[in-house]
Amino acid sequence: MHGGPIMSCIIRQVAKRADGGDIIRTRTLSATEISVGRGTDCDIQLADLAVMLRHARLAEIAPGRVSVETTGGVPVAVAGKFVTRADVAIADAPVIDIGPFRLSLSAGDGGAIAITAERVVPPIDTADAAQEVSIFSLQGAMPTRRRLAWLGALTVLAIMLVLPLVHFLREGPTTLPRDMLAEAAQPDRAAPAFGLQVAQPRATPAGGPAPDELWSTGSLSNAHASLANNCGACHNKAFVSVTDSSCQACHTPAALPGHASAARLADSQMPEGGILGIAHKAFNLPQGRCTSCHKEHEGEATVMTVATSFCTDCHDGMKTRLGDTQVADVQDWPKHPDFRATLVSAPAPGTPQFTRTALNGAREQSGLLYPHDLHQSTRNAVANMAQKQGLPTSADGALPCNYCHKPDTDQLRFKPIEMEANCGECHDLAFARDGDTLRTLPHGKPAQVAGIIRDFYLSQAIAPRAGVQRIAFERRLPGRMAEVEATQLRLGGIGDARARAASAVEAVFNGAGTAGKGICTDCHVVSDTGATDITKRFAIAPVSINDHYLPKGQFPHSQHKSHDGKTGQAACIACHTGVLKSKASTDVLIPGVANCRECHGAPPKSLLPAAAKAGASCDTCHGFHEGNTGATPLPAGHGGAAARVAALRSPRARSW
Amino acid sequence: MASKATAPNAAPPNAAPPRQGTRKAMTGKAVTRGPRDVAHEGFLTHRRARWAKIAATVSLVALGAYLLADPIPRHNGGTWLGYLLGTIGAGMIVWLSLLGVRKRVIGSKPFSLKGWTSAHVYLGLSLIVIGTLHTGFQLGLNVHTLAWVLMMIVILSGLWGISLYATLPEKLSANRGEFTQLQMLEAIRTLDRQLDTAAQPLGPDDAALVRLSLEQCRIAGSLSQRLFGSYARDGNARALAAISERVTADRRAGRADEAVQQIQFLLERKEAALSQARRHIRLKARLEFWLYIHVPVTLALLAALLAHILSVFLYW
Repeated sequence: MHGGPIMSCIIRQVAKRADGGDIIRTRTLSATEISVGRGTDCDIQLADLAVMLRHARLAEIAPGRVSVETTGGVPVAVAGKFVTRADVAIADAPVIDIGPFRLSLSAGDGGAIAITAERVVPPIDTADAAQEVSIFSLQGAMPTRRRLAWLGALTVLAIMLVLPLVHFLREGPTTLPRDMLAEAAQPDRAAPAFGLQVAQPRATPAGGPAPDELWSTGSLSNAHASLANNCGACHNKAFVSVTDSSCQACHTPAALPGHASAARLADSQMPEGGILGIAHKAFNLPQGRCTSCHKEHEGEATVMTVATSFCTDCHDGMKTRLGDTQVADVQDWPKHPDFRATLVSAPAPGTPQFTRTALNGAREQSGLLYPHDLHQSTRNAVANMAQKQGLPTSADGALPCNYCHKPDTDQLRFKPIEMEANCGECHDLAFARDGDTLRTLPHGKPAQVAGIIRDFYLSQAIAPRAGVQRIAFERRLPGRMAEVEATQLRLGGIGDARARAASAVEAVFNGAGTAGKGICTDCHVVSDTGATDITKRFAIAPVSINDHYLPKGQFPHSQHKSHDGKTGQAACIACHTGVLKSKASTDVLIPGVANCRECHGAPPKSLLPAAAKAGASCDTCHGFHEGNTGATPLPAGHGGAAARVAALRSPRARSW
Repeated sequence: MASKATAPNAAPPNAAPPRQGTRKAMTGKAVTRGPRDVAHEGFLTHRRARWAKIAATVSLVALGAYLLADPIPRHNGGTWLGYLLGTIGAGMIVWLSLLGVRKRVIGSKPFSLKGWTSAHVYLGLSLIVIGTLHTGFQLGLNVHTLAWVLMMIVILSGLWGISLYATLPEKLSANRGEFTQLQMLEAIRTLDRQLDTAAQPLGPDDAALVRLSLEQCRIAGSLSQRLFGSYARDGNARALAAISERVTADRRAGRADEAVQQIQFLLERKEAALSQARRHIRLKARLEFWLYIHVPVTLALLAALLAHILSVFLYW
């Protein structure tokens, strides 16, 4: 606190009016020192934040001399220089700048010091206010949101909507690739690999990408991959769902027939109900279209993945809608009825009669006598014969299944049984040795057999040759040397020859009165008609051996070579369980549906559908595009063309 | 009635019902008298996080439906569930983009702006589930996936924005120290003026440095400067560095040029003022920038949505 002289001051504070004029407030003050600052307790109050609360003080140190001392630590500008303390002479009319204010000192009336305080740096005005926004807000550094929004939206519309739309409107009628057309037009054979599945995607199409590929919802399946830039191949009309005619442009009805006649299909369908039904009807999406089942744009092979519900939509309760149907109702795979095999009911040489019968307790009339258990034994004459004859045997020494049952070319089922190939090693039809030649009877031709035997005897009677031995037909017990009971055939004349011939024929056919002792009667039912002509006397009951028991489904044996870890013979027996005990050929040894379920399980209903060990949907075994337009419920052919091979469900897919 | 007359401690029959748990009907008045928590409920916990619960429920239901359905061949936007989720999602996207309209309508209405914002945030988050389930997780280079990508950008930028709104305002207040924006500018202007005055007696080199500060100092600068606060090449910083060098050199040489020292002092003060303003600018820029993504991408999304829906039905 200075104890200096009291100075009298005239303080003028100048403020500017809005119109530019000045407001001057004058007051007088007498004090030892004048405080200057922002605070209201200061003698000269300067209202600006750049001024400290107590910024400086003025004191008179000598008459006409004033000291300026800062108290706020912030210097003031005196005569253009920043100082914290200065002594000024009033006579020099000094100027002190504090913040935006200017204090001008001059001599006043009566020795007083006149201090004029005015603002020299104008406060921020409206021009600066606009600057404020551009400085503090991002508006000054970026285009406006509205502009950016327009830019983005128009770009997206131009590229994603307008460009493909123009392309769509301008392209003419679509051209289908010739190679795909040709391949689709070929009717499908029963291919072993369920050949409709295309493992590799087809070649990328020529012509580069098209703008409307931007509208694709996913990659095409392998088979259709060449159509990637040709949307118009299937999407013919705007706002119209892909129609059957688009599909059939390539997949012609000749190459890919329907499932049944259109009228039958329409009658058998369950009517679609609920919201989905209403929606489908409203948008003209009837059931039974190609795209009801085959959904494209789901990648790789999934166009061939078909929902089970499509099959059961018709086949569940079909009897109520199609009263004359021969097909059993199927609700779903877990409730699939047991198989009804197509069995021979009346064998005949040309056209045997077949009947579809439930497997349970079924009997087949093949006309042949054949016990499996005898031929599969490991310990009996058959086994011994097999070893002695050097036939391929299985590990346990018995005759293996595949000795008779040879896979066919497609590896689906087996070649028909042929007597000479499959039975001839043991059931020999040799009847005489003629020098170096072993005379053999032909199988399957009873009239020829009788005639050959008769002619053999007669020729020997008329023109005897040396070295002709008759072979006995009785079978030798195993263990003894297979002696050929060589008896020189000596005949006493034609009458003798005829009689010997007749008895030989009798012996061959039916064992000459001893029941079951002939060669033919080993396997056949022989009847004696009593005709005088020896070639017409004995009749063999016709034999028709079935080789396709379940023609309504596809079962490829090649894909079932192992069962439960067993391979080879054990695998056969694992499914065909009755073979080793079967004593009669009337036994039907085909396994039922329960056997299939061991692997093609019917998983229990669970919250998250789980995969079966192997395919468990309808199209695992059944086809659809089979062309069963005929009226008869029985298979079109037997032993001939198999049922059409149908789609293979992707192993990744699941079903309920 | 006897029942009313008993129990002397019972509330008189005409007393107002206890406020706990009761709710008056929506009367549409500007000031409603509902029970209210004393503590402030932000838009994220509006009405005890009602919209968070609603959105969570919707998401769970959609997820459940997705898991339980088993379409053949696989989930995609064209199954019945796909159509349902797509319709719901598209409706939600359009409603969400109407927040800008609601913002500009003054008045409490049945649902306050705070309620709308709360619903906007949470239903927008639930779109992550609904939109992605609608795709069946099948994404490719097409307009459909573009719509999904734009939707995700919008949602994620919104999430980012919320996190900014939750953390930055506090920092803004802390940085401000009672200054308004105009006052920050004014402080800098004042210092400029003082610099101008103080630099009068300087020689040409030093005067050039002061001019550097006066003329080549941009308070805010470019977008990246505002977002990342990189002002090292700015006029004032360079001027201050050069002047400080001069001062230390002078000190070592034993000279003391008061004028230059004053300049240094002023430049330092200006740098401090600039720093405060720039910190403020940086916080504000970060508070605003996310919306420059959120809003334009929303409009682009609406365009992509239009293209998506149109193309789906055109190539049905």
